[in-house]
Amino acid sequence: MTHVVDRSLLRKIKRHGAGSKLDVDACFQCGNCTAVCPLAEDSGGFPRRLIRMAQLGMEKELLASEDIWRCYACGECTQTCPRQADPAEFMAATRSYAISRYDFTGLAALANRSVLGNLAVFALFSIVFGLLLASAQAPVSPQAPLFDFIPGWWIHAIGVALFVVVGISAALGMFAMFARFVMGQRRKGVPLRLGALPGAIASAVTDALMHRRFQRCDSGQATPPPPVEPWYLRAWVVHAAVMGGFLTMLLATTLDFLFKPIGSPVPPWYPMRILGLVGGLTCLYGLAIIFLRRIRAAQPPWRKSAFSDWFFPSLLAATVLTGLATEVSVYAPLGSVGHGIFFTHVVLAMDLVAMLPLTKFAHVLYRTLALTLFAWRHAPAREHVTVDAQI
Amino acid sequence: MNTQINSDYVPDVLVIGGGIAGLQSALDLADQDLRVLVVERNSSIGGRMIGLSKVFPTLDCASCITTPKMSAAAHHPNIQILTNTEVQAMETRNGIHSVRLLQKPTYVNFDKCIGCRLCEYACDTEYPDPFEEGLGSVRAIAVPFTNAIPQKAVLDAEHCATCGVCARVCPTDAIEFDQQPRTLTIHTDSVIVASGFNLNAVTVKPQYNAARSSNIIPPTMMERLLAPHGPYGRVLRPSDGKIPSSVAFVQCAGSRDESIGVPYCSRVCCMYAIKQAMLLSGALPLADITIYYMDIRAFGKGYEQFFQNARAMGINFVRGKVARVDPIEDGDLRLHVETTDDAENPLQEHRHDLVVLAQGMIPAWNPAATTPVACASDGFVATPSLTDPTATSAPGIFVAGAAAGPKDIVDTIAEAGAAAMQVSRYLHEKRAAVLVGQAVHG
Repeated sequence: MTHVVDRSLLRKIKRHGAGSKLDVDACFQCGNCTAVCPLAEDSGGFPRRLIRMAQLGMEKELLASEDIWRCYACGECTQTCPRQADPAEFMAATRSYAISRYDFTGLAALANRSVLGNLAVFALFSIVFGLLLASAQAPVSPQAPLFDFIPGWWIHAIGVALFVVVGISAALGMFAMFARFVMGQRRKGVPLRLGALPGAIASAVTDALMHRRFQRCDSGQATPPPPVEPWYLRAWVVHAAVMGGFLTMLLATTLDFLFKPIGSPVPPWYPMRILGLVGGLTCLYGLAIIFLRRIRAAQPPWRKSAFSDWFFPSLLAATVLTGLATEVSVYAPLGSVGHGIFFTHVVLAMDLVAMLPLTKFAHVLYRTLALTLFAWRHAPAREHVTVDAQI
Repeated sequence: MNTQINSDYVPDVLVIGGGIAGLQSALDLADQDLRVLVVERNSSIGGRMIGLSKVFPTLDCASCITTPKMSAAAHHPNIQILTNTEVQAMETRNGIHSVRLLQKPTYVNFDKCIGCRLCEYACDTEYPDPFEEGLGSVRAIAVPFTNAIPQKAVLDAEHCATCGVCARVCPTDAIEFDQQPRTLTIHTDSVIVASGFNLNAVTVKPQYNAARSSNIIPPTMMERLLAPHGPYGRVLRPSDGKIPSSVAFVQCAGSRDESIGVPYCSRVCCMYAIKQAMLLSGALPLADITIYYMDIRAFGKGYEQFFQNARAMGINFVRGKVARVDPIEDGDLRLHVETTDDAENPLQEHRHDLVVLAQGMIPAWNPAATTPVACASDGFVATPSLTDPTATSAPGIFVAGAAAGPKDIVDTIAEAGAAAMQVSRYLHEKRAAVLVGQAVHG
């Protein structure tokens, strides 16, 4: 098989990297990153082989590899890299590049290319949702309940439509990755058994929920053992707080949507309210730790931050904060300020969902899919038992 | 050899460093009837080479080559040697270099000491022998090592219990507890910097965990283990004295690595690792010996053949840079490496009971801080001219050996000879100019 070396791929990936200097060209393929990685497994070459693919311009192979999503950016490879080529940041940049390539609308490419592009996409969505909401807004007194300010059914209508559109977009993005993977495995002659797929999905989802791999990444088996951090500061716990908090809020909202008439008044100790509050505070705790680490920038992987590293957690934090403020304004009416907070919250929440396949949020899709594909690829082949017919 | 040198002594050349580079330069210059002063920081001349077992690619005994040079320099009528002496500063005015030296106290009067070692035998205090890389022990007052030159006892004030027994047994009353550091300034026409190299610490790369196991050793320690007159007289591993059955050499452990600030190649590690592996095959015929390398740099005359011989001897060569060394049970070590030798199974772990880390060469002295000599960005003495490789940035000051960059013994000796030649030419031209000046101006 011939392959034409394409130097532009590395340039494109580097544009997604944080900071001015991502010197992946310096890599001399010693394999230290792979051998030091707590998550490198049988196949080897992770992340070394991916860097080689990028250096040679093997875009098809790079985007077909689920390996870029198996990395949780513990930064140990970057700490030991003899060429200071920053493999961890390379992996992050490649993930950002992959997000923009899997998305067919071109919006992800725009959002991940530059700060301006990212803000432009954000502004576009905010204006669209803002106008949509404002179109149904009734002139009411500042003391009116929130759902008199903007009708609940209208919010829900937009929300359902949004979920459908984003769902389709996400499915197409995941299919883009899935198809590349299957083609890649076929090229390599690796047999894939359809029957093993459900098991692979189950194992990937439990892995994602339990942070099984993330824990291994952060298990302190690194050498030298890092100063043992209290459990509530471990990277995987912080991530679990954000993710768990988010899922809890999602659950509370869904239950509200299903079982509570829109806008009906409930007491503060209403279970779904409590659930939402706990989820929100947990999520905020995790986000606060993430922000502090990125601001302090003391060690990899937080030493360098791209704009996209700031944007997604900021959007999430803003959504949660305005949500909590909205809760407050339900019980302690703030007048037109409360209306403003509510309006902002709804717009931000819609932005968050709309930008799911476009921002770092997309790791929810692609990492889970990657874990599935990895488990699928490693599912034991069906044993062929041949019995000699000598009766 | 005269240890009592004063400022009125004016050598033609001052050589900084009494290792193989400095000694070779000194001998080449002294044989041309130039007066040479050799300044050595340690208690004996001989430098790094006198501590080696054998040299590549000939497997000649290192001390059999070094000792005659040391002895020849020590007995040469044109060479003076100051040991235990450091260069504090140097300044150049009108072509004359004024070098301020600090002579550290040895607490032994070298004019009186006859090297009988009675003090050493009587001394009760021992500490880990720096010459043996800490493997053996040495008395607080002792002749530095068997073939040290000068053969004079030196008292180590840090470890001395000041019991006074040495002074009581000394037949010549040479012990002087009240010695003070002495500074003196030497004026000279030219200088050769031959200050050599150090190895960076085995702990420099935290991933190799040398701080957590005494069985992860520097190559200099392996030299002592292999030396016929080494600390144990045989190869034993430091933690428990076990005879090693599986020895690993980790190449590029302290160089070609920007994460520890040594991006350059130390040049000699491939060859000495092969040499040590060969010597180990002789010392431990049953041991497995593996060299983990990125690429073998066998650049010199006969080196490639040396490497091929090692392969033929059954030494394992695994291509891959070791990423991590983990101490495990029984004092053994586990190495993590991604190798390109095995396409099916590139990610490998290997167990060994002794690991030698090929540490990087770093300059032993930074002259840029206190002298007119400039250093390059890697810290070694800068040699600005391609066609005059021993010339430094300062006129009249030359450089030889590993002070100018990582170098093996063969190249060091060649460069030392070249530096001596350049000094000789420089002095000749300078003095001819003075004569011409005198003739013109009367």
